[in-house]
Amino acid sequence: MNQKVFAPWDDPNQKPLIQFQNVTKKFGTFTAIDDLSLDIYEREFFALLGPSGCGKTTMMRMLAGFETPTSGTIRLSGQDLGQTAPNKRAVNMMFQSYALFPHLSVWENIAFGLKRESTDKDAIAARVEEMLRLTRLGKFAKRKPHQISGGQRQRVALARSLAKSPKLLLLDEPLGALDKKLREETQFELMDIQEKTGTTFVIVTHDQEEAMTVASRVAVMDEGRLVQVATPADIYEAPNSVYVADFIGDVNIIEGNATPNGDRVRIDWAEGQPEIWGTAQKPVASGERISFAIRPEKVTISKEKPEDRRNLLEGEVIDIAYLGNISTFHVKVGNGQIIKAQSANTRRLANRDITWEDRVWLTFTETAGVLLEG
Amino acid sequence: MRRFTLIAVPYLWLLALFLVPFLIVLKISLSDYALSIPPYAPTLDFSAGWQGIKDLMSKLDFENYVFLTEDALYWKAYLSSLKIALISTVLTLLVGYPIAYGMARAAPEWRPTLLMLVILPFWTSFLIRVYAWMGILASEGVLYQFLSFLGIVDEPLKILSTNTAVYIGIVYTYLPFMILPIYAALEKMDDSLIEAAEDLGCSRMSAFWLITIPLSKSGIIAGCFLVFIPTIGEFVIPSLLGGSDTLMIGKVLWEEFFSNRDWPVASAVAIILLLILVIPIVLFQRNQQLQREAEG
Repeated sequence: MNQKVFAPWDDPNQKPLIQFQNVTKKFGTFTAIDDLSLDIYEREFFALLGPSGCGKTTMMRMLAGFETPTSGTIRLSGQDLGQTAPNKRAVNMMFQSYALFPHLSVWENIAFGLKRESTDKDAIAARVEEMLRLTRLGKFAKRKPHQISGGQRQRVALARSLAKSPKLLLLDEPLGALDKKLREETQFELMDIQEKTGTTFVIVTHDQEEAMTVASRVAVMDEGRLVQVATPADIYEAPNSVYVADFIGDVNIIEGNATPNGDRVRIDWAEGQPEIWGTAQKPVASGERISFAIRPEKVTISKEKPEDRRNLLEGEVIDIAYLGNISTFHVKVGNGQIIKAQSANTRRLANRDITWEDRVWLTFTETAGVLLEG
Repeated sequence: MRRFTLIAVPYLWLLALFLVPFLIVLKISLSDYALSIPPYAPTLDFSAGWQGIKDLMSKLDFENYVFLTEDALYWKAYLSSLKIALISTVLTLLVGYPIAYGMARAAPEWRPTLLMLVILPFWTSFLIRVYAWMGILASEGVLYQFLSFLGIVDEPLKILSTNTAVYIGIVYTYLPFMILPIYAALEKMDDSLIEAAEDLGCSRMSAFWLITIPLSKSGIIAGCFLVFIPTIGEFVIPSLLGGSDTLMIGKVLWEEFFSNRDWPVASAVAIILLLILVIPIVLFQRNQQLQREAEG
């Protein structure tokens, strides 16, 4: 039996939970969000990714109700959110600073939202206990926020924002304050909790690794616009622009003139250098100026000249970045361009045969890279 | 040894400037009124040595304290002082909290200026400022002229020499002591707490009651004590702005001391006042301690 792939965005019958329709937000003369349209579906774990100042936080604050769009509409389950106040939305937010109430215990923090809408003490207590179990905070229920660790505080903030069973949970850089190891653990915990509760999550982050790990879809933003919205794999393997390719992970960009040849494209990129062969995702005009983007891990490096390879560049090792599990080689090819190649360190460091100033050969397949405009 | 020296400095200071004067006043309060210089007896005869101290101790008694309980004036003055201090503390809080809140909410670049404006009155002598209020509140003073210019009043004001004038004077004088601790508490409050409260279903108003007020509690308590404690013994404001019916223990004390020249009774009044003040002072210290622990 085939497991059904979760991809509501490909199903035209699915109704989006959130719809941004031509939303623009201006602060004075500064345009934070520029005519943006986006659909987010139920049960999605949606990541807004971009450098600081790209408008991702503004989008989140508009969903929470702390900002209202200058023009355009935002719909939640088909209903226009319009001027609805933050306390009247079925949307909860987990703040970057966690914003835990310092004068209340962990228990009271989680119960805070529940007490605002109900007076049924037993129901509130049951829900708080459920949240404490979900986030494994039972032992700390009576403590005040300043008496627990950063990771525990993060879980309290999550429990508090989930307690009211919102239709949509917003997470503003939820793991920013944690150290790397804890952050990685917590990423999986978040995905786990998202799956258990079935809540739609929208996460804002500037950490591309985090976005790739947790999200079902990632939106890469720049200057108030969406550059690409796709699954993590598509964003990485098939970026739609140099900006996305460069923002997500490491990439080599080689600019050149294209000449289509069947389903392949020949790229002449430098005088005296062998041409590069790539595969076009969409039709390219002859002589068009294009960028060829290839990830370092898709470039093979070797000291012996491989036989029968179409894409073959010769160069000299300038730098080696040793990262433990992998090494990145910076290779200067004929025209002075640096091309990065990565290889897994399957052998011990002492046995590494490539070193500084070695003459090496770089190869990659015709389908390894992507062709991008401009 | 170095630690001892370090601790010794404040203790010596307290000994010389608090404990010794306190013991002198205590001793006078246990003495008898006398028509002499100084106007009390007995006095300590240093030349008699140990015997002198013994003689002195045998002549001391609690007569003046008994007298304080017999004359209704004194306990009425104490109660009236407490009442005036309590009411003015509440009034100062009601005026000071919104100001502190406004300052804490103001744009960061404005805050130092606003803070400066709150402290600015201290640049002028306290006495001069109270005299200025006499000019403002006088029956045909500045306030009257302004109000009659606006056509609001047509007969002279009856504010000066009443308790109302005393309240105005106290609120005006002690307002910075209320504003500063509350501002300090509100200023370090994270704005996202209010947003979180609203996000979890609070209205603006309930977020204020459930989050802002509890988080500024330590500032409110500190401000209230800083106003309440000095107001109980306040003397200048009631004697300059208050009338003959304004009964405050500071005024009584002054009159005992300078008008009646009855130093022993005046000292007894002062000792009782000190004992009354010890309670709020201890409570105030406890509040500061708890706050430090909560932050630690």
